[in-house]
Amino acid sequence: MLETLRLSWRLTLRHWDVYRQNLLPNIAPTVSDPVFFLLALGIGLGAYLHEMEGRTYLHFLAPGLAMATAFWTAFFESSYGFFIRHTYEGIYKAVLTTPIGPREVIIGEFIWVALKGAGMASGVTLVLLVAGVIEWVWLPLVPVTGALIALTCGSIGFIATAFVKNINQFQTVYALVINPVFFFSGIFFPIGGTPALIQVLVWCSPLYHGVRIGQAALWNEAVPATLLLHGPPLLAFTAILVPLAGRLIRPKLYQ
Amino acid sequence: MEASTPTAPRPAAAAHGDETIVRCRDVHKSFGAIQAVRGASFDINRGECFGLLGPNGAGKSTIISLIYGAASRGGGDLTVFGLDPATRSRRIKERLGVVTQDNALDEDMGVRSNMMMYARCLGIPRRERRARVDALLEEMALLHRADATIKALSGGMQRRLVFVRALLGRPDLLILDEPTTGLDPAVRLLLWEKVREMKRRGVTLLLTTHYMDEAERLCDRLVIMDQGAIRAGGSPRNLIREHCPGMVAHFDPDPDLRRQLLDTAEADASLHFGEDSAGLYIRAPDLHCLDLLIRRLGLNPGMIRPANLEDVFLAITGKELSADA
Ligand SMILES: Nc1ncnc2c1ncn2[C@@H]1O[C@H](COP(=O)(O)OP(=O)(O)OP(=O)(O)O)[C@@H](O)[C@H]1O
Ligand SMILES: [Mg+2]
Repeated sequence: MLETLRLSWRLTLRHWDVYRQNLLPNIAPTVSDPVFFLLALGIGLGAYLHEMEGRTYLHFLAPGLAMATAFWTAFFESSYGFFIRHTYEGIYKAVLTTPIGPREVIIGEFIWVALKGAGMASGVTLVLLVAGVIEWVWLPLVPVTGALIALTCGSIGFIATAFVKNINQFQTVYALVINPVFFFSGIFFPIGGTPALIQVLVWCSPLYHGVRIGQAALWNEAVPATLLLHGPPLLAFTAILVPLAGRLIRPKLYQ
Repeated sequence: MEASTPTAPRPAAAAHGDETIVRCRDVHKSFGAIQAVRGASFDINRGECFGLLGPNGAGKSTIISLIYGAASRGGGDLTVFGLDPATRSRRIKERLGVVTQDNALDEDMGVRSNMMMYARCLGIPRRERRARVDALLEEMALLHRADATIKALSGGMQRRLVFVRALLGRPDLLILDEPTTGLDPAVRLLLWEKVREMKRRGVTLLLTTHYMDEAERLCDRLVIMDQGAIRAGGSPRNLIREHCPGMVAHFDPDPDLRRQLLDTAEADASLHFGEDSAGLYIRAPDLHCLDLLIRRLGLNPGMIRPANLEDVFLAITGKELSADA
């Protein structure tokens, strides 16, 4: 197992090597995306909303958007990113001639997705901290939650990759799965006020649980209770989705 | 001492155990309904250059991917260095290098960083990586392009870089899947020289190619595959002797001559008539017989040559070769 992790890590480092070649251009959009969301909605829309759950709309939005960064980055890495590396660039073909096997490739991809999700969520959180719209006491929860969100959402991306016939079909997954999950995960409005059916569906979204933990942490409000309520489902989703995605994506690397 | 000669051969310690490096017995492999390999058996001995020839789609690359455990075997027994690639591919891959049919170079990285990355994947210690990569780049006349992007390299340079990648791990078994397809004669000569050098160092070689001259020059033994099965095997010389010994005369296409040659060959079992994209040809058991025939019929051949591996290939597979089909 240790050997497996060591080999997987080598693939993760490959992605990091490529990523850091253009560090700023790579990071900039990931950070600016939620920031613009926050400015447009928090300040623009916020002018019309007096408050949400007892805080300004800007303050309400901030944690959820930070956590969603992990979600987006994980989806793009595991769908378009993996697909391009696999089908267009064929990088795994050569990697698989080294002692790295399909299993190590998959684990290495997941490590990369988790680290990137953790890093991105943390980066945006730091920007928000400087801007003074969040609390810092529970900051260490951000990378952990970010990694778990990235693992679950990365799994969805890998599962999609296992089934799409061409790269354009990711657009469908994006429109029908990723976007609805994004909008119905308690980032923009509390789920408590929606119809019961929607509430049930939202409970099936790993992002929702991650967002709730992030909100509790960065609002510094009812953190232990929130962790108890939303931690187990987030961990459960991770434990189910990651192995499932790994199994489904394997035929792409080993027939 | 090792570090100062980055491409020095591995010490003989790696050579314990038996002399069969690859042992393939009745191996099968299907992709869905396509039977890519149906019952292949052969042995590759230590230190030899073994050829795997066959037309497009014969199953050559599939056998290669089974050898290093990149695909699951449908049936049969296969061992490489005495290990089963289905379960021990990691150990096997520590000892082999592959010149893949597609270059599969990492276009997200430059030339040197590409090789540094593979060196890391291979587990080469960090301190040694740079020296080993640069030494091989130098050997392949690529060091001056170390900072270039992959796309900026010509086809021949990319192919040489794939050789660098395959040699980085100092393999005991080097697999070459159509190493020279689409390359100019100078690069082919360079790569052939490299292959011979590897052989001199005791590296075992598995080569697939569509070029019969390449196979004849490089291979000690070879098998000819068609539609997933092995049709014939042996040394190039024995294959020629066994399947189509003799001399061949070529003629330009001509309907009357075609008729005449066909009738002659039908009347005499020692003669063989054929057609290829260049025209007509007839094969006789030796130069004397061919000469008699030419005089008797008053023919004017364009070229006379000894039978070669290409004739064997044609006789066995019924297919003409083309590297770019
Ligand atoms: N991943 C795959 N999925 C489906 N079919 C495949 C796959 N790989 C190979 N095949 C099929 O298996 C057969 C053998 O292919 P293979 O690539 O081994 O041939 P080859 O001898 O290497 O041919 P070439 O000289 O063109 O490289 C072909 O019919 C091919 O279409
Ligand atoms: Mg092939």
